Amino acid sequence: MRSKHTPKRLILEIVMVIVSLLFLYPLFLTIINSFKSFSEVMTDVIALPKSFTLENYTYVWKYINYPRLFTNNLIITVVGLAGIILVASIGSYKLARTKSRMSNFIYMLCIIPILIPFQSIMLTVLQVAKQLHLSNSTWGLGILYWGFGAPLALFIYHGFVKGIPREIDESATIDGASGFRLFFSVIFPLLKPVTATIVIIDVMWIWNDFLLPLLMVNGSPSTKTLTLAAYTFVGQYTSDWQYAMTAMVMAVLPSIIVFIFLQKYIVKGVVSGAVKG
Amino acid sequence: MKKLGRKWTEKLEFGAFTIPVLLCIITIFYIPFAMTIRYSLMKWNGISKNPTFIGLDNFKQIFSGDTNFTNAALFTIKYAILYIVIVNVLAILLALVLDMKLRSTTWLRTAFFIPYILSLVIVGFIWKFIFMQGFESLGDSTGWAIFDLSWLGEPGLAFVSILAVSIWQSIGFYLVIYIAGLQSVPEDLKEAATVDGAGPIRKFFSITLPLLAPSITISVFMALTNSIKVFDVILSLTGGGPGGTTYSIAYDIYRDTFQNNLYGYGTAKALILFVAVLIITVIQLAFFKSKEVEA
Repeated sequence: MRSKHTPKRLILEIVMVIVSLLFLYPLFLTIINSFKSFSEVMTDVIALPKSFTLENYTYVWKYINYPRLFTNNLIITVVGLAGIILVASIGSYKLARTKSRMSNFIYMLCIIPILIPFQSIMLTVLQVAKQLHLSNSTWGLGILYWGFGAPLALFIYHGFVKGIPREIDESATIDGASGFRLFFSVIFPLLKPVTATIVIIDVMWIWNDFLLPLLMVNGSPSTKTLTLAAYTFVGQYTSDWQYAMTAMVMAVLPSIIVFIFLQKYIVKGVVSGAVKG
Repeated sequence: MKKLGRKWTEKLEFGAFTIPVLLCIITIFYIPFAMTIRYSLMKWNGISKNPTFIGLDNFKQIFSGDTNFTNAALFTIKYAILYIVIVNVLAILLALVLDMKLRSTTWLRTAFFIPYILSLVIVGFIWKFIFMQGFESLGDSTGWAIFDLSWLGEPGLAFVSILAVSIWQSIGFYLVIYIAGLQSVPEDLKEAATVDGAGPIRKFFSITLPLLAPSITISVFMALTNSIKVFDVILSLTGGGPGGTTYSIAYDIYRDTFQNNLYGYGTAKALILFVAVLIITVIQLAFFKSKEVEA
C-alpha cells in the first residue's frame, strides 16, 4: 500500500502540522519571553519582543555561574555514564555466559532494584553516601549513579549478550585471549548498538535528574547542577519571569542541542531500551 | 589437579566480572533498603543520636488515619489511572496517524518528542508561567473564557493541569514505542482483512490492536511506574497547592522526611509505597502478558 496523496490526506497532514505547532507553542513562548524586558513580559506574553535584548542572558549567566554549573553537569554525567557502562557490561557478559544457580541468583539480585521506587530509599542512600564520603561532591554524585543506573543497563546488556554466539568467545580463546582481554577486544565492540542505547537513555536521565542532586549536592553553589540552579533561581525570582524564562532556556539548551545531533539514535535508543526494558 | 586449577580460575574470573556491579547495586539499593526497613520501626527526628524502637507503631498510625497519606494516595491513584489511560490512548491514535507515512512524519515525530528531553522540573515551571502569565495574554487577545479560569488556583483544575502537563511532556516517548510496534504489524494481514471486507475500524480492533499488545504491555508498565512516582512536576507547577490538594504519595514522603523531619514515619510510608508498587507491577505484567498474542 503506497501512500496516496488524496485531498483527505492533505487535510489530515495540515491538521497534524497545526496540532504539532500548537503542541510546541509553550516552548516558543518561553524562548521569546527570555528576550524581553520585565515590563514587556508583564504587559504582553504572546507578542514578539520589541527589541531582542540579551541582557537577561548575561545577567543569568553571571548570577548562576553558568560555566561552572555546565561543568558540574558534564562531570556528573560522564562519570556516571562511564561507570554504569563499565560495570554493567562486564557483569552482564559473565552472567549471561555462566549457567549456574549462583549466576541466576546474582542476576535476579541485580535487576530487582528496577522496581524499587527512589523515594523508598532516598533518606538512607543519603546516609550511605555520607559514610562513603560521596556527598556534596559532583564526582561523588557521579559515582552514586553507577548503582542507580546499573540494574537497567545490566538488564538490557544481558538480553543482548545472549544473542552473541558463543563460538566467538571460543575462537578468541583459541587465539590466546582470555578474561578481560577477550571481553574488551572482542565482545565489547560487538555491544556497540546497546551501549549507544544505554548512553542515550542515561544521558537524558542523569543530565535532567532533579531529586537526587537536590538531596546530594544542593548544599553549596559550587556543586549545583543546571536543573537545580534553575529551580532555586525561579524560587527566588518568582515574579521576575524574564530571568526565570532565561534560566530555563539555558538549562535545557544543552539537551536540545544534543537531541538535534543525535535525533536518529535517540528515537532508536528509546525503542530498543523500552522494548527490552 | 589440573581440573581443580581451571575451576578456580573460572571462579576468580566470574568474581572479577560480577563483583563490581554487585557491589554498586548492594551499596545503592540493598544496604539503604535494609536501613529503610529498620528506620520504619523507629521514631526518629533525624537530629537525636538515638532513634527509639517503636515496633509497628508507625504503620498503625499511617493506616489508622493519616489524612495526608490518604489524600495523597487517593490523588496518586486517580492521577495514575487517568494518566495511564489517556497517555496510551492518545499515543496510539497519534501513532496510527503517523504510521500513514505523511510527508511531514519526521517533523511530527520530532515535534511530539521534544518535551520529553526536558527535565520535569523545568517543564513544570514553563507551564506555571504559561498558566499564570501566558493565559492572561491569550485570554485578552482571543476573548475565550477558558483562558480566564484559575488553572492552578482551583483544586479540580489544578489536578487537570498537572495531568495535562505530564501528558504533554511524555506523550512523545509512548508515541515512539507505538510507532515501532505498528511497524512490526505485518502488512499482508491487514490486506487479507481488507479483502475479506473489513472496514478500518474493524481492522483496527481485530488485527492491529491485538498485535500491538507487546507495545501496550511495555507502555502501560512504564506509565504505571512513572505515574506512581510523580513528584517533580507537582513540585514546580503547584507546589502541592492549592490548599494541599495536589500532594502525591512521593511528595508526601518527601515532605514528612525532609521538611517535617519525621524520618522514621516517612520511611514507613516509603516502605508501603514499595510494597504497593511491587504488587501492582506484578499483577499488571501478569495480566497484560496473558493478553498478548504471537504475530
